[in-house]
Amino acid sequence: MKKSLIQRIGLGTFGVIVAILFVFPTYWMITSSLKTPGEVLSPNYDLIPLSVTFENFVTALTKPGFTTYLANSLIVTIGAVLCSLVAGVLAAVTLSRMRFRGRKGFLLLVLVAQLAPFEALLIPMYLLMRDAGLLNQLPSLLLVYFAATLPFTCWMLYGFVNGIPYDLEEAAMIDGCSRAGAFRRVTLPLLAPGLVTTSVFSFITAWNEFLFAFVFMRDQGKQTLPVWLSSFRTAFSVDWGGIMAASVIYAVPALVFFILVQRKLVSNLTAGAVKG
Amino acid sequence: MTTTEDVTTPAGSSPPASPRIKPPKSNRRLRLGERTAPYLLLLPALVAILVLLGWPTLQLIGISFRKLDLRELVSGEMVWVGFENFSEILSDPEFWEITVRTLVFTAAVVLTTLLLALFMALLMRHLNPVVRVILQVALILAWATPVLATTTVFQWIFDQQYGILNKTLAKLGFDGFIGHSWFSTGPSTLTVIGLLVVWQAVPFVAFTLYAGLLGVPKEQYEAAGIDGANAWQAFWAVSWPAIRPILTMVTFLSVLWDFKLFAQVWAIRQGGPDGASTTLPVYMYLKGLAGNHFGLAATAALLMMLVLILLTARYVQLLVRTKEADLS
Repeated sequence: MKKSLIQRIGLGTFGVIVAILFVFPTYWMITSSLKTPGEVLSPNYDLIPLSVTFENFVTALTKPGFTTYLANSLIVTIGAVLCSLVAGVLAAVTLSRMRFRGRKGFLLLVLVAQLAPFEALLIPMYLLMRDAGLLNQLPSLLLVYFAATLPFTCWMLYGFVNGIPYDLEEAAMIDGCSRAGAFRRVTLPLLAPGLVTTSVFSFITAWNEFLFAFVFMRDQGKQTLPVWLSSFRTAFSVDWGGIMAASVIYAVPALVFFILVQRKLVSNLTAGAVKG
Repeated sequence: MTTTEDVTTPAGSSPPASPRIKPPKSNRRLRLGERTAPYLLLLPALVAILVLLGWPTLQLIGISFRKLDLRELVSGEMVWVGFENFSEILSDPEFWEITVRTLVFTAAVVLTTLLLALFMALLMRHLNPVVRVILQVALILAWATPVLATTTVFQWIFDQQYGILNKTLAKLGFDGFIGHSWFSTGPSTLTVIGLLVVWQAVPFVAFTLYAGLLGVPKEQYEAAGIDGANAWQAFWAVSWPAIRPILTMVTFLSVLWDFKLFAQVWAIRQGGPDGASTTLPVYMYLKGLAGNHFGLAATAALLMMLVLILLTARYVQLLVRTKEADLS
């Protein structure tokens, strides 16, 4: 089905238009954050910022609490990712490399846990955290995000470990490595891309999470960035430039991580059949 | 930025089959340490799943049969009420209205997402590499932007006074849109929320379908061309069978995600105006944590889970069955 030149130019133009429409909200977030407050609210119609300023970023970063919320988000997210990565690797390797009673049952448990609507557990989780005295404490969120990302992490890593031939480990063992040594020297380096991909998806899940953070962290100064961002309409007079700058700062880690792994994104993702 | 072209794994496939695992030489000779090793290694994950997911699930069922308002919550008193919570919620006309609204909203969002994503995937296949990369970068940017950042941008775009949308419409001669509020009615608010959700959901679905399309050998299209099929016929004969299972999977996932949306709905207007954009998760929050009726909220959550199970049962059944086959 060969296409004529005109058809190809038409199709290409159309593709670019679709891309522009799609990228517009992100573009608008970034350019708005670079405009002066006067320009943001001017009745003029400018799609391109006339003058670039970082004033809004200074405003956002000096806003009371902003850096605390940023730190809170980073702590719970990175903590949860590390926990689920450690528990996930241990589980994945065990499931893939060892035969034992209950193996299949555990795999099914992981699969079912992955499909369960996590948000429905809000009330019992809230009571659990209250009874443990963890409300308004960062560890409560860390634990919740750990639990939320763990089944998915186990499942994805299980697939990755299965993809690494066991023969390689065996060869290393014949050459005198212990079982653990063979794993550390042979399989772990090969598993690195899997670890990176999996942690990005856990990161995005925890970084995005709103409902539990909103309910668990009611005290001022205890919130995470998404909760803070959602509150500006009522809590602050709307400074759109500042809010856009805050949104950009909030988006940067996620964007960076996504770009790092986007090449392997879809294939790995569909293997686990779960979005981060 | 590199392209996602090399992606060919069909969606919905399970992780590669287990490698051949050599049975240990002799079971009886195994040292105790070696026999308990797998359980020790699984312990962190197992404890986390049982304590942080299993226990709350049992609790949820328990709480839904209890009267648990602020008084009981503070005193720690157990008041069992049987099916009272269920009958109270099920006889609440507001609950039914919100359930229908949530279902309609989910259906509309999922359908729009799927159609747009399918269109994008087909478009990607026919574009030349440069334009395709441009389109893919645009999609990834939309996908990677965190939900709440996206929500604030949409609020800014749809802002009554200074939003770019009203400005554009006014510029195009629609003067009626000067100062128009997009959040003054429920349907209009839900449409904006829907747009926001679709915009973020399309990239994943589009990439997944595109990966499926790439898995179709070129020869099949050539063969269809030789047989005299036009583009439309070739699509139905060659592409459609290849992407149908993927489409089933992404439909399932989209229903799962879109049905339980909370962040966007809450951040845009807290379910307003006058509860006209309230969906089931928002209802659960308002009843339970804002209204201090934890028992009722647990019941609402349980009913929500039931609706979700009903919506996705067929697919989950298929999924578990295929995974089970893989596991053995």
